[in-house]
Amino acid sequence: MNKVEREITVAAEPEDVWRALTDEVLLSEWLAPEVELEAEVGGELYVRSEDGEERWDTVDELEEGRRLAFTWADSSVELSVDAVSDGRTRVRVVETAALPVSDWGPRLTALASACALTLA
Amino acid sequence: MSDAVGPVFAALAHDTRRRVVQTLASGRGATATSLAADLPMTRQAVAKHLAALQRAELVRSARRGRETVYELKPGPLGEAASWLATVGGEWDERLERLGRLFA
Repeated sequence: MNKVEREITVAAEPEDVWRALTDEVLLSEWLAPEVELEAEVGGELYVRSEDGEERWDTVDELEEGRRLAFTWADSSVELSVDAVSDGRTRVRVVETAALPVSDWGPRLTALASACALTLA
Repeated sequence: MSDAVGPVFAALAHDTRRRVVQTLASGRGATATSLAADLPMTRQAVAKHLAALQRAELVRSARRGRETVYELKPGPLGEAASWLATVGGEWDERLERLGRLFA
């Protein structure tokens, strides 16, 4: 239950969608009002959110045209891009919090696995 | 999944109820009327969702004068539910904006 999964399918080619995930100007259109990104492993990601909160993060993984993973605050975020059909592309996001799930006990651990499967 | 988990799971699988949890998570308790003012739904709909969240033991209520005030139950379950609702809601909004770039 420390994991959020969401996805959206858009009418665009994967390379155009990938650009929206890695180009600072385009990222500022949807991720947060102000975004700076060095699109490479170990590169810096700066995000200022609507409420003025600022975060400096690091790119953990980058698979060109496919997958971008970074850590922000106490969560890790993975964005991935998949072609689903001609001219349609799916973007999937998984955010996992660094909450101590092991401390939650068996009842919550069961809930965590159930939610990870179905709350997508 | 144990019987105790079923209702929680069902309660949070509903988008509107996640929004109720999200709203409760950001405040110090709310009434059905104040929630209905913040969310695009009627007081009756809010009351129904609050009842479901209460059955799932995610939310508790207390009488304050003539009002019933609802808040998230403290503890790991409430915290986890509030994190899920908040982070999930943020990504819903971001992906909606991303979708509009290609609309």
